[in-house]
Amino acid sequence: MRLGLAIDLDTCVGCHACAVACKEWNGQSLMGGAPDYDAWGKAPSGAWYNRIRHYEIEGDPTYSPYRCGSSSDASEHQPLSKTVNVPMSCMHCEEAHCVTVCPTGASYKRAEDGIVLVDPSRCMGCNYCSWACPYGARELDEDVGVMKKCTLCVDRIYDEQLAVEDRQPACVLACPTHARHFGDYDDPQSKVSLLAESRGKQSMLDDLGYKPTNAYLSPRKPVEIKAELPIRAGLSDKAKAFVNRLIQL
Amino acid sequence: MKPALSVIFFTVSSGAGLGLLVWLLIASLMADHIRMDGATFYKGVVIAALMITAGLLSSTLHLANRKNAIFSLVRVKTSWLSREGLLALILYPLAALHLAALHFGWPHITPFTLWLLVADAIAILYCTGMIYACLRTIPRWNTWMTPAKYVLFGLMSGSVLLPAALSLRPAEVGPIGKPMVAIVLLAVGVVFYIAYLLKHPRAQHTINDALGFKRGNVRLLDVGHSHGTFLTNEFGFVLAREKARMLRWLAIVFGFIVPMLLCYFTQWFWSASFICIAGLLVERWLFFAEAEHVVRLYHGQQRV
Repeated sequence: MRLGLAIDLDTCVGCHACAVACKEWNGQSLMGGAPDYDAWGKAPSGAWYNRIRHYEIEGDPTYSPYRCGSSSDASEHQPLSKTVNVPMSCMHCEEAHCVTVCPTGASYKRAEDGIVLVDPSRCMGCNYCSWACPYGARELDEDVGVMKKCTLCVDRIYDEQLAVEDRQPACVLACPTHARHFGDYDDPQSKVSLLAESRGKQSMLDDLGYKPTNAYLSPRKPVEIKAELPIRAGLSDKAKAFVNRLIQL
Repeated sequence: MKPALSVIFFTVSSGAGLGLLVWLLIASLMADHIRMDGATFYKGVVIAALMITAGLLSSTLHLANRKNAIFSLVRVKTSWLSREGLLALILYPLAALHLAALHFGWPHITPFTLWLLVADAIAILYCTGMIYACLRTIPRWNTWMTPAKYVLFGLMSGSVLLPAALSLRPAEVGPIGKPMVAIVLLAVGVVFYIAYLLKHPRAQHTINDALGFKRGNVRLLDVGHSHGTFLTNEFGFVLAREKARMLRWLAIVFGFIVPMLLCYFTQWFWSASFICIAGLLVERWLFFAEAEHVVRLYHGQQRV
């Protein structure tokens, strides 16, 4: 198994509900613990397993305005300016260099499902794994001096006391626009595999060779608008054209 | 990167101590020629041991959970940090064995222990460099020049300390000759440092690579947090360009040029050593402060 998330950059509205749900679940969970520092003070901070950042993508004005591309577009044009919300948590990389560099063996990648975890009873808080992570997925819990990261809610997804539909990461369940999906990328028929296949995924620092498991689904192309009118216009078309002209006045 | 003083002190102090150890051991092979008596050798070894140990202890100061440091030697197969720790711990029994062999007069094992110690000291320096050089996330460090720098600067500062340690010998032996090894290594060091400043890898990744939107301008609209985070604290350090330029000159002048002049024209080897180490501390501070991690792309930096 190769468990991971598929995050839809088209439908994510950047509401931070996933991060709040993550904090709520992992704040007290067995594997987790995500403390806040100075939460009601002047400089509130804390450890988060998931952070949402917002970006502006500026379009290419020379490109046809009727087609919207993304990285899945062969020409890689991004013609329309848009705002993209990017939630980032651990990608559960196949080549997890954070695990390789860990001197204590506290960081490990599970062979059975590919989840990258930290064993708090071995971690010495040297921060070296966070240096090795290009995605900023690891944050130090300053209260106990141990590195913390997304566990893919490993304490939820295998919990047989939960209803089957609830055996998903807290962030996936919380997302109001269903922009987050959870599944097994080794199964070509799973929802996440099919989504990544059909929508195309963004390549995020792929040249570093970490092979991230999570997929960021590229923004869709909008439906192409036909510019030309029908050749033989009927009475209803003439009426529509008349109304359109009125509106354009 | 945040320049953590404990790590900066560790790399410079242990580096100089290991370099001094290497040169003391090699000097002990020609002790008669350079007129180094046994007491002076032992004094030098004590200085080297103090510097190495102080550095290693300092390196544990930045650990957030020191009680688990005992586990840090178990991933020798994959982690350079683990390798460095293990080799550093091997150094002590090996040095004890070598000193015992010298003391009790076991001439058949001293050549082995001596060269093993030299190899171990150089291997520790190399491992320290590789801790940083193996990180693909920090392009500036991800080059062969990083371990080369750690080995070279360690041996260089040790070679400046050697005549200082030799100056502890009894006065009737007479003055010390020109420390040509130190002068040559300082010259090589300054050339290497300038080459490093000119040729280190830079600006390999853009914010477009980070988000996968290959064309068009991408800029951060909102970073999503209102105050500093672990990530901004650890990776967000920004060094003013003017300040960096001034510090680079300081490092070149005090790390290399002034010690070289002092070694060539004077007998003030202790001053040369302290100035060299101070210059290397500035150099090491810059090494961390100027390094940029790719996570800065997600925080809005256009190129790393």
